[in-house]
Amino acid sequence: MNGVTDSSKESENSAPPVEENHSLGGLLSKFGSVLTNSYVRFLARKAGFYLVVVFLSMVLVFFIIESMPGDPVAVMLASGNPPPGVDINVLADKMRDYFGLDKPILDRFFFFLGNFFTWNLGPSYHFYPVQVSTIVLYYLPYTLSLAIPVLFVSFFVGNYVGARAAYMKGRLNEAGYFALVFCNQLPPFWLGLVVVFTYVLLFHGIPPIGGVTLGVIPSLSISYFVDLLAHWILPFLTLLIVYVGAWATGMRSMVTHEMDSGYVRYGEQLGFKKSKLMSYAQRNAILPQFTGLNMVFNGIVGQTLVIEIVFGWPGLGLLLYNAVFNYDYPLIFGCFMVIIIIIVAGNFLIDVLYGFLDPRMRTGYG
Amino acid sequence: MFGLAVLISLILLGTVGPWLLGDPYYMNLSLMGRPPSPEHLLGTTSFGEDVFTQLCNAIGNSLVVGLIAGVLGTLIAVFVGAVGPYIGGMADRISSLATNLALVLPLIPLFIIIASVVRGLNLVLIGLILAATSWPWAARSIRSQVLTLKEREYVNLARMSGQNSVDIVVTEVLPNMLAYIMMVFVILTGTAILAESALSMIGVSTTRTITLGYMLYWAQHETTVPFWWNIWWWFIPPGIVLTVLLTAIFVIHAGMDEIFNPRLREL
Repeated sequence: MNGVTDSSKESENSAPPVEENHSLGGLLSKFGSVLTNSYVRFLARKAGFYLVVVFLSMVLVFFIIESMPGDPVAVMLASGNPPPGVDINVLADKMRDYFGLDKPILDRFFFFLGNFFTWNLGPSYHFYPVQVSTIVLYYLPYTLSLAIPVLFVSFFVGNYVGARAAYMKGRLNEAGYFALVFCNQLPPFWLGLVVVFTYVLLFHGIPPIGGVTLGVIPSLSISYFVDLLAHWILPFLTLLIVYVGAWATGMRSMVTHEMDSGYVRYGEQLGFKKSKLMSYAQRNAILPQFTGLNMVFNGIVGQTLVIEIVFGWPGLGLLLYNAVFNYDYPLIFGCFMVIIIIIVAGNFLIDVLYGFLDPRMRTGYG
Repeated sequence: MFGLAVLISLILLGTVGPWLLGDPYYMNLSLMGRPPSPEHLLGTTSFGEDVFTQLCNAIGNSLVVGLIAGVLGTLIAVFVGAVGPYIGGMADRISSLATNLALVLPLIPLFIIIASVVRGLNLVLIGLILAATSWPWAARSIRSQVLTLKEREYVNLARMSGQNSVDIVVTEVLPNMLAYIMMVFVILTGTAILAESALSMIGVSTTRTITLGYMLYWAQHETTVPFWWNIWWWFIPPGIVLTVLLTAIFVIHAGMDEIFNPRLREL
């Protein structure tokens, strides 16, 4: 990296700036100035940090999984009938050999490590011939389709509601505050049960639980999509209520704080319209909310996994949960790594966004 | 004040209730899945157990888990967050890096895996695991607090008079942070109670001790009537108690923030 920046500086000094754009030197100098830009350095540092996170969590999870008590081969054999006339111990030894379970732990670790970078995690134990990467990629969109809309919709709705709540007067203000805090403190997994219960009370039918209704064939048709949407809406609403509460409580206190600050009071005395002042206060109040995006995103992913188990929504949470009970080592590992990668990628994107919004981050004060 | 009153009444319910109400596992098989009535305030489960008795036991046990995880988590957070910046140099960088790393780890999947590794889970073990996984957030905020306190004049004075750094942390910095540490403890307790309920509700935590999540788990899985939502008096109360408990904890935290943070009091 040093070499590139040095040469770019030289070319910047020697070549005239107009022709630079077309020559190789010009490109290099552009590249160099991008590299020395502190925003890019900030992002590079973040990216390095997240790569370390992925690596360390991989090591951690591998050794936790390896120390699981119980024998995956025994579980696999117990889940089906062995062919007649076969000695079960011989079969078990064959399976151990095949899956590499008889090798020492360090050998297996390095084997896993090598395979991980090519995303070749081997076949799942429970769904035997299917590769872990295939299974995980099948379940991944379900989790994302819950977590990402919840993040964005709750961010906008919550901040709007929070700002409204801050302008309320007197008892209404306190009642609003209390309602928001209450929403935020609702445990999502229990709220899921209540949402299902409410559905039953309102519509007197079996609530849509699971991925799709039994018998509906996945296809690119409207009826399939509507069915999917009907199953998606309940977990989505559950998570949305809780996270709207989370954003709104924060936004309410920030707007209250800003409406009390010097510039708003000054503007008030200059005779600015109330709506104008409100928009100024909201713009300043929203910036600290963006710093909360990281933490809330991690929280949303975690809660989505639990909600999936409650609603039977076939996402990574349900997959991980079943994999743990099946002693499916490669699948547990794959699931956890995908969850880590979702979180790391999301955090990185949020960092990029934050540096984009707040110039102080780009100049290196962040 | 409101929060404190609610919390104290819940603690009373959780400690005194089990003494008065008897065996929470007693099954009266002639009273299976009965709705609330004067004898059984919150009705009975589909095994004929009294829901109110179970609820009182659950409150007590959930609070115990929260307390264990809260105390231990706060200790770890104070150790990592306060001693690190004080010794400085390598120790500081390592503790800060460890905090940031642990902050990104998703706790719930990690806990699902850990809980399946550890056999014979009981309340103390769950408290330990929750403490071991929930400290990073607290450590980071304590760290930033220590960094501002470190530059105060009385700390400089102590350093000039030759106290060693551990002594300074214990005698000068920590007493000034007690209020802050209490706030961290309150929040950690609340999150631990919530996390334990989430995990025992999906069935990866203790399955022998009644906690709020345990009640939700059985209310969802072991009903003798066709659908779990038909026995609404079984799954609604634990959730309401949990929400009220967490709201009380949040209100207490906000109140403490108001008292100890003079800047906020003017609002």
